[in-house]
Amino acid sequence: MADAGAFVRPPLITGDKSIAQVTQDVSAPMERRPGLLWWVAFLISVALLALGALAIGYQIATGVGTWGLNTSVGWAFDITNFVFWIGIGHAGTLISAILFLFRQRWRTSVNRAAEAMTLFAVMCAGIFPLIHLGRPWMAYWIFPYPNTRGSLWMNFRSPLAWDAFAVSTYFIISATFWYIGLIPDLATIRDRAKPGFRRTLLSIFSLGWDGSFRTWQRYETTYMLLAGLATPLVVSVHTIVSWDFATSVIPGWHTTIFPPYFVAGAIFSGMAMVLTLMIIARKVMNLEDYITHRHVDVMCKLIILNSSIVGLAYMTEFFTAFYSGNTYEQFTFINRAFGPMAWTYWVMLSCNVFIPLLLWIKRVRMSLPMVFVISLFINVGMWFERFVIIVTSLHRDYLPANWTSYTPTSVEVATLLGSFGLFFTLFLLFCRLLPIIAMAEVKGVIGHERAHHHKKAAMGHNAVRTVQESGAEVLQ
Amino acid sequence: MKHPHPNHWRGLEEWEDPTSVREQAETEFIDTPLRIGAEPGRRDFLKATGFLVAASSFTACSRPPEEKALPPVVQLEGDVPGKSYRYATVCGACPSACGIVAKVRDGRPIKLEGNPAHPLTRGGLCATGQASILSLYDSHRVQLPRSAGKESSWDEADSRIAEALSAARQNSGAVRVLSSTLTSPTLLRQIASFVSAFPDGKHVVADPVSASAILDAHERTHGVRRLPHYQLGKAEVVASFDADFLGSWIATTEFTRGYTESRLAEQAPRKAAWHTQVEARYTVSGGKADERIKVAPWEVSATLEHLVAKLASLSGKAFVPGSAAPAADVMAAIDRLAQRLWNARGKSLVLYGANEIAGQQLANFANELLGNYGSTLDLSLPSLQRQGSDRDLAQLLAEVAGGKVAVLFVLGMNPVADLPLSDATRQAFERIPMLVTLAPREDETAAIAKIHCPDSDPFESWGDAEPVAGLVSVQQPLILPLDKSRPALESFAKWAGKPASAYELVQAHWRESIHPRAASAVPFETFWHKALHDGFAEVKSNLPVAGAFATGAVTPLGKQAAATAMLQLYVKPGMLDGALAYNPWLQELPDPVTKATWDNYASISPAKAKELGVKNGDIVRVAVGDTALELPALVQAGQHDALVAVALGYGRKISARFQDFGPKWIDHRATTGANGLVGVNAASLLSMEGNTLSYLRPGVTLATTGKRQALAVTQSHHTLSVPENLDPGGPPRPIVQEVYLSEPETFPAHDPEDVPELWPPDHPYPGHRWGMAIDLDACTGCSACVVACQIENNVPVVGKDEVMRKREMHWIRIDRYYSGDVENPSSAHQPMLCQHCENAPCETVCPVLATVHSSEGLSQQVYNRCIGTRYCANNCPYKVRRFNWFNYPREDKLANLLLNPDVTVRSRGVMEKCSFCIQRIQEAKISAKQEGRELKDGDVVTACQQSCPANAIVFGDMNNPESKVSKWVKNPRRYRVLEEINVRPSVHYLKIVKRSGEKPGEEHHG
Repeated sequence: MADAGAFVRPPLITGDKSIAQVTQDVSAPMERRPGLLWWVAFLISVALLALGALAIGYQIATGVGTWGLNTSVGWAFDITNFVFWIGIGHAGTLISAILFLFRQRWRTSVNRAAEAMTLFAVMCAGIFPLIHLGRPWMAYWIFPYPNTRGSLWMNFRSPLAWDAFAVSTYFIISATFWYIGLIPDLATIRDRAKPGFRRTLLSIFSLGWDGSFRTWQRYETTYMLLAGLATPLVVSVHTIVSWDFATSVIPGWHTTIFPPYFVAGAIFSGMAMVLTLMIIARKVMNLEDYITHRHVDVMCKLIILNSSIVGLAYMTEFFTAFYSGNTYEQFTFINRAFGPMAWTYWVMLSCNVFIPLLLWIKRVRMSLPMVFVISLFINVGMWFERFVIIVTSLHRDYLPANWTSYTPTSVEVATLLGSFGLFFTLFLLFCRLLPIIAMAEVKGVIGHERAHHHKKAAMGHNAVRTVQESGAEVLQ
Repeated sequence: MKHPHPNHWRGLEEWEDPTSVREQAETEFIDTPLRIGAEPGRRDFLKATGFLVAASSFTACSRPPEEKALPPVVQLEGDVPGKSYRYATVCGACPSACGIVAKVRDGRPIKLEGNPAHPLTRGGLCATGQASILSLYDSHRVQLPRSAGKESSWDEADSRIAEALSAARQNSGAVRVLSSTLTSPTLLRQIASFVSAFPDGKHVVADPVSASAILDAHERTHGVRRLPHYQLGKAEVVASFDADFLGSWIATTEFTRGYTESRLAEQAPRKAAWHTQVEARYTVSGGKADERIKVAPWEVSATLEHLVAKLASLSGKAFVPGSAAPAADVMAAIDRLAQRLWNARGKSLVLYGANEIAGQQLANFANELLGNYGSTLDLSLPSLQRQGSDRDLAQLLAEVAGGKVAVLFVLGMNPVADLPLSDATRQAFERIPMLVTLAPREDETAAIAKIHCPDSDPFESWGDAEPVAGLVSVQQPLILPLDKSRPALESFAKWAGKPASAYELVQAHWRESIHPRAASAVPFETFWHKALHDGFAEVKSNLPVAGAFATGAVTPLGKQAAATAMLQLYVKPGMLDGALAYNPWLQELPDPVTKATWDNYASISPAKAKELGVKNGDIVRVAVGDTALELPALVQAGQHDALVAVALGYGRKISARFQDFGPKWIDHRATTGANGLVGVNAASLLSMEGNTLSYLRPGVTLATTGKRQALAVTQSHHTLSVPENLDPGGPPRPIVQEVYLSEPETFPAHDPEDVPELWPPDHPYPGHRWGMAIDLDACTGCSACVVACQIENNVPVVGKDEVMRKREMHWIRIDRYYSGDVENPSSAHQPMLCQHCENAPCETVCPVLATVHSSEGLSQQVYNRCIGTRYCANNCPYKVRRFNWFNYPREDKLANLLLNPDVTVRSRGVMEKCSFCIQRIQEAKISAKQEGRELKDGDVVTACQQSCPANAIVFGDMNNPESKVSKWVKNPRRYRVLEEINVRPSVHYLKIVKRSGEKPGEEHHG
């Protein structure tokens, strides 16, 4: 049975890599000077980051009035960016936790980078709730902590408070999960490093990893438990983010479909971002053997699934509005599609529903340039989805006297660019300083293939064993 | 010589050498750097020098603050710091001279309110009056007399004026006093006696917004040059021909109160209230009218003439109109109107707004035919609120142009900016040997005046007023003068050579002339103190009786050539003639009709806009003859296609201060226009032909310029119907609801308290339960409440750029919705403020509990807890929350004296909104507690409610079934906005009463 499956499925890692080769290939970028391309990308990212920092500094010094918001549209770019970045993070958690529990072993090539992406995206996301405050220096009031202000507490009924918990939990769990997964690889590069500062640092962070059977066993158990802990977060974080809108009374926000719709959208956008990053990384860092067409194909199929869910959600919203008989609700959706900001709606719909339809075609899925371009479109589309939900609902709500419009200011655009600057700066540093592919896990996959090709099937192939094997081999 | 041993000694040393011990003892504790008595050494000199240099530079570092105010060592009896005192006085913002009560807190007047006891306004106060308190704390007031543009002293100014006056006396030179209508009898007498001392002295009264034709018409028809006292409260049927009596015409506050009282649907017996407005421009009154007849601007008088003809035939008299008959549908409407007026003989009123004598005579004739004189128009106790004479003004201008005026005093007027002066006349003004202005600010006339003698603020000086004959008020000072200005009363007394204080002058005049007119014989002191306390006194009129109506005086109009386009110059409610153009509250107050702020504009009809291809904000060139102005266009529904309307009162020099107004940041745009001023002065388009100031000009041309100047309009969508292409179908949103008088017992009694609830109520409200009710049928949209709230609650003014970004901060705004045909819509005004919902959506979403529900039903905003997530504002279905996007500048220290100390000044980054004037609730509770009684209905009056000239707002305890608000809530007209989302607002609205037509169909509202 297992052998038959192995014949049908192509190998996960091509190029018939040996275990030592894997270590060599993955460690190489960390052990040589970065190329010109990296420097160019890094400088651009840092420049954007600096621009964003400048914009945020100016805004905090001057006031939220430097954004294009108004009395009716109290949130726009700020919360759009927040939801966008939080959403991006979800694919990482999905790949690293859920796919791990489901034994989707193709994930090994992409999970490290996807998790790093999660962390950096959550960092970018975390900026926005902070800076969107009128008085960001009072942000800590949102947490329940013992204080000397009488019995003054925070409001447990407010979705924003839930948000603060959800996002901080998400960040802590993701960071822990990512770090625990890194330990065997840190040990590997520690062992390859020349004595010196870098090696000392790696020694500290690899926590004295010795590759013994017991170490491996505990590592695997911890990893599995953390995967179990992280799994509900894939669903919960964006569910809670969606409650920011769903619990309100504003037509277009007050919708019970939001939690599943947001989760699907988050995974959708995250997958697109993983693809964007991976397609560049495999090219720039010569990882074609590790991130293969098969990986891209699988992720494209996930995108098709999520795109369909999101598309269904868009239709359901319209149906609900129509069926509700609520004139405000009906107007909000007609206004979304045909009102003064309709172009944002059609950008969203095109990028998220129509363009991903191309991925049904196998030839498109196999063409990396096509997939790359489509992934970019999805990134744009998902940003616009949040913009459409937030701004088009607010700008024309119940009382026509309140109807306004919204145009971003230069400060807002600079802040958005700055968040991309931060994301890519962190990601580029990550590519240089840490193994972008989980070596230990990939070796397990090679072992898996070998187990089918060269060893007796009776050996079994549970995760613990194979990884343990490969781990032992690393140390050889 | 051996020292003598002392008798008593302290030690062996003293016993041996008492002198040296004494010396030591004397210098033991001296630590001066200089040894006293010893010859100073070089080092001592240097030490001393160093000390002096250091000490003197330290003392030079900062000047001790100049303290003039001394704490009252002996506290005034009954004066408690932190407690507000209220004094009755007179509003000085316009010649209406409404009775007001000024709230004085710690020695500073900080808020004006209408005097509820005053017979004319009965508690209302318009936006202009509310805002006028800022003039007291205006740091741009002229502090000292100025002579030839340089600061001078009163002695110098007086001596130069005295020289000029004595020269005029000797040479029989013309001495003229040019003033707007003055309602102060003392000042009028003072000026009269001043000018009478010269061989050629004259007091010329002229109003920038002139009603001269009404007075002149009465001179012809009744033999007396008087402005009748219009009594809207007694009028049941009102036919107004382009008189915007609810917006800006003469005494709007009084008119509004009478109008709404007369129309109240709940009175028994219900009056046959009806209001027809005939006009070309779209005015506040026109939008409010039961029937609005839109005619071309040149047809207004013709329509009136045909109405007069109908009335004449109804009364059996003959009158043949001379003008061409208007269109058939207008004629049909005029027939119906004539019948309505005729049925309400003696209880009707015909008003005519234009400043033209022939038309005014027709209006007089109509009122005479209807028997309205003596009931709805009072000529025996006439209004003294407009006394200007265009004829006198024209004569004065001719004299000035002819170089005949030797000395000209200007008071309460700004002729250079108010009047259409030709270049030659303007130069002639500059050539007047002695031009003295008494303006409190550096205005256009002050710029060419030889001497500028600033008048004091009404709140700094004694004065009086007689707005309507027989109704006198004392204007009492509430604070010592903040600068070295001098009341006009004292100035004229000084120049007349009989210097006296204003107090002496006013009291003397009252003793001699007013007190003898008192109805009952009371001692003067009693009379005076009662008038001071009440704010007014009713006395007998000393005017001669008006003659009988002279029918022969009325002549038919001539045939009028139909013009192709006409320009109308009008004044906006609030801003009026522009004397208060320095006032940021009024500049930022949205016009009740157009909702535009910070600008004037050329108002054109939608069809005209389409024809020209212009949109709101496209600059057009408005030309009449040789004069042309470039103004942004504003498309106004309901306006006649042949009319261009431009507001006066803009482009004033005193608005130059707004150049730097508003928060500064990289994308900040200026509040002022290209001329550095707010708006454009359109006075040059006025005409002075035929001894009449004419506000209607034929032959106007419009041309596009291709330039743009965005208008700061606070409301972008103007009807309750959504745009057609986005309409999901169904009736318009039931936000403004109407009830038809034809409906049996109005509408189905629907009690929202019956809505089934899954949960027990969150809020039990054991004590008070504050609530508000607003009668939309009464509300005219005048916006007095907006300014009243802004002053009461320290609401910042943000500037044009921020208004364009839709970030105005008003806690109460007036939403204006049109309904009906775009060619001739009616408008509904809906005051919108925090609804203090029981199930407040804002309260649940705040993460830090910065907005919470009180046990008395208030949705409270806790500023110092707010971190500014703006979630509450997003979740507010009414969008009444206001965010402090910036730290709005409060740099003017003097203006800051006006801040209400009971209300926190909000910093940047926090949300704010209507608090139901919680400080007033607290104040009332504290007083009740001190007096040992329960709080009673009417103890708490919110600022908006207090100011409302229409009495459209009531506030009170809904737990008290006897309170006024509880009674209003039981009114079958009651509804709540967005009732269906079950937020349970505490603000209730009473539906608009439609007096014409049938209910259009099931569930068709708004």
